[in-house]
Amino acid sequence: MLNFFSILLGKNVSLVSKILGRNGSTWPGHVALNIDSSIVSKLLKANSKLKIVLIAGTNGKTTTSKMISEVLERQGLKVFRNLEGANLLNGIASSLISHSNVLGKIKYDIAVFETDENSLPLILSQMSIVKGQPRLNRGQLSIVLLNLFRDQLDRYGEVNIIANKWQDSLKRLPKETVLISNGDDPMLSFISAKSGLNTFYFGLQKKKLSNARANSDVDFLYCPNCSTKLEFESRSYSHLGKFKCPKCNFANPLIYSFDTLPNPLLGEYNRYNINAAALLLTEGFGVGLEAIEQSLKNFSPAFGRQEKLKYKNKNVFVLLSKNPASFNQSIEAILSKEKNPDVLLVLNDRIPDGRDVSWIWDIEAEELVQKSKTITISGDRCYDMGLRIKYSQKSDVKSQMSKVKIEPNLKKAVETATLQTSKDDVLYVLATYSAMLETRKILTGKKIL
Amino acid sequence: MRNKNGKWSMVNGQLSLTIGWLYPDLMSTYGDRGNIITLQRRCEWRNIKTQIRRLDVGFDEKRLATCDILFMGGAQDTQQKIVSRDFSTEKRILLKKLIEAGIPGLYICGAYQFLGKYYKEADGTIIKGLGILDLYTKNPGENSPRLIGNIAIKILSTTLVGFENHGGRTYIADKELALGKVVKGFGNNGEDRTEGIMYKNSVGTYLHGPVLPKNPKLADFLIAKALEVKYENKIKLEPLDDTLELKARTVIAKRLGAAL
Repeated sequence: MLNFFSILLGKNVSLVSKILGRNGSTWPGHVALNIDSSIVSKLLKANSKLKIVLIAGTNGKTTTSKMISEVLERQGLKVFRNLEGANLLNGIASSLISHSNVLGKIKYDIAVFETDENSLPLILSQMSIVKGQPRLNRGQLSIVLLNLFRDQLDRYGEVNIIANKWQDSLKRLPKETVLISNGDDPMLSFISAKSGLNTFYFGLQKKKLSNARANSDVDFLYCPNCSTKLEFESRSYSHLGKFKCPKCNFANPLIYSFDTLPNPLLGEYNRYNINAAALLLTEGFGVGLEAIEQSLKNFSPAFGRQEKLKYKNKNVFVLLSKNPASFNQSIEAILSKEKNPDVLLVLNDRIPDGRDVSWIWDIEAEELVQKSKTITISGDRCYDMGLRIKYSQKSDVKSQMSKVKIEPNLKKAVETATLQTSKDDVLYVLATYSAMLETRKILTGKKIL
Repeated sequence: MRNKNGKWSMVNGQLSLTIGWLYPDLMSTYGDRGNIITLQRRCEWRNIKTQIRRLDVGFDEKRLATCDILFMGGAQDTQQKIVSRDFSTEKRILLKKLIEAGIPGLYICGAYQFLGKYYKEADGTIIKGLGILDLYTKNPGENSPRLIGNIAIKILSTTLVGFENHGGRTYIADKELALGKVVKGFGNNGEDRTEGIMYKNSVGTYLHGPVLPKNPKLADFLIAKALEVKYENKIKLEPLDDTLELKARTVIAKRLGAAL
């Protein structure tokens, strides 16, 4: 039975936390969950017409959620999203509470939730099944699995463990659940095929792939079915590409790719986000391609994800770069646009960034260092990043390092970096999560979360 | 090039080293390839020629036999099982011979555990190790936390800093062989204050970070020993400018309240 008291309390906490300046995006849900741990499941049961879309993956969650919501809104539907970063169960509970009235009624058509990799199983259990028993038959649930890369090993543990947890929880869902999965990712293809859900795969067309060599940001090079080394015919990035197992013949499933859609963002890797969004919208919601195209043309990135800002009349471009795969993709995107960029690298090791910074040694920094005009480095672990840059150079280290400035104070680093950037040029900022928020605060003069 | 006595001699006055990287695409989870990069660069900056030899699944033992430094990183369970299967008796005997002969090596986390006698899982299952070093590891189960965080250990007059992240607790038979004493952090098992092992010129440790970039003395130790074994001559390494390395070390040491 839905406990109205928990909703009311959640709403009050939301108000109080706004006044106190506390984190209003997760605190209300946190309090409500303490009173009733199945509040999410109960709210959904009381609102059985509300459709739910869950977006999970290491990289691209916020961008893809934003694309999907905007297209759906253009269709005249009432859509809401959880606040970015509030992607654990408490963030989702908060979002549901703040969009319901005091009686628990949610007057929206669709909720689009980005979900933390580790929390996906728990969230799924609240969406449909509690303790193995069908509680809520939710034919209106769709799940988008974008990718799975190494990220924050101190917090999430190893990627295989997450993949196994996902596999277990997908198997328990009602069979009519729509699953949109990455057919270029060996592990996701494998667990999705085993799920028995109403599954569709997105990917990139072979002709769009060129990279045959594996970088060091790869996680799944061996067959998830028989542990033999996979043969990659071509690769887009990391372990995404066209693969085949020479022993058991495990290979890519049939994929959908929407090549006529525009890419409003820098970098081919965003094609995966676009294809995932388009596949969900066409197969799950029956939206036409033209409507998707219109929305994409007007798409502006979520904050900190390829966001264009101005600071003291200089152009700044902020790219959240939080793990080896996303950092490498940021580098590729920058170098596809600029011959000699000015860059600012900001590395923090706080809880939202992951406390272990060893991942920076899995990025390919060599080309960026050689081509950059100036490099400024800041953040809690700026000297570690400095070492990564220094050790990327085989010879001529002194002259390469002469364009590198390391400044632990972020405010000063932003000043230095923008001052070095010419008026018509762009300063590219590659920053980890908390570093991106902090940098953005300096650049815009205001706090966003 | 070997001379007529079978000893290595320099080619045109240039020293060279072959760095053997055991299972690079399976045993490399926590940026551990930074150790390979560090060994390679610190050689190149001193005009010591290096060759990185990748020893992947199915490698020929002969390619392992002629390496001058060995490296093996940490891995996920699934990957480690593939490696266990590939590590035949012949490979085991050869690796033991190389370690006994003083071929320097760095074995991190999963690789360090693998050199021991066994790994006992929480449910009591025993996974056999290579049995080259006298140590064993046990996993106390899900109710005991993983040992995660920044770590500082003391070795003679120097301090090593890094980041550890392991569920297994390792116990070494001879505590005198510990690589260092834990100053801050957990080390081998969180109980006896030992961290890692140092046997002949082989180092086993839980330190990620990766360990070598921020601890250049350890990197240079491995390089110097490799040259010494190869050329049968003590070779003094040209000093490098380690100002940046020192700064990166200091940040962690300060946070942990450890002296450098």
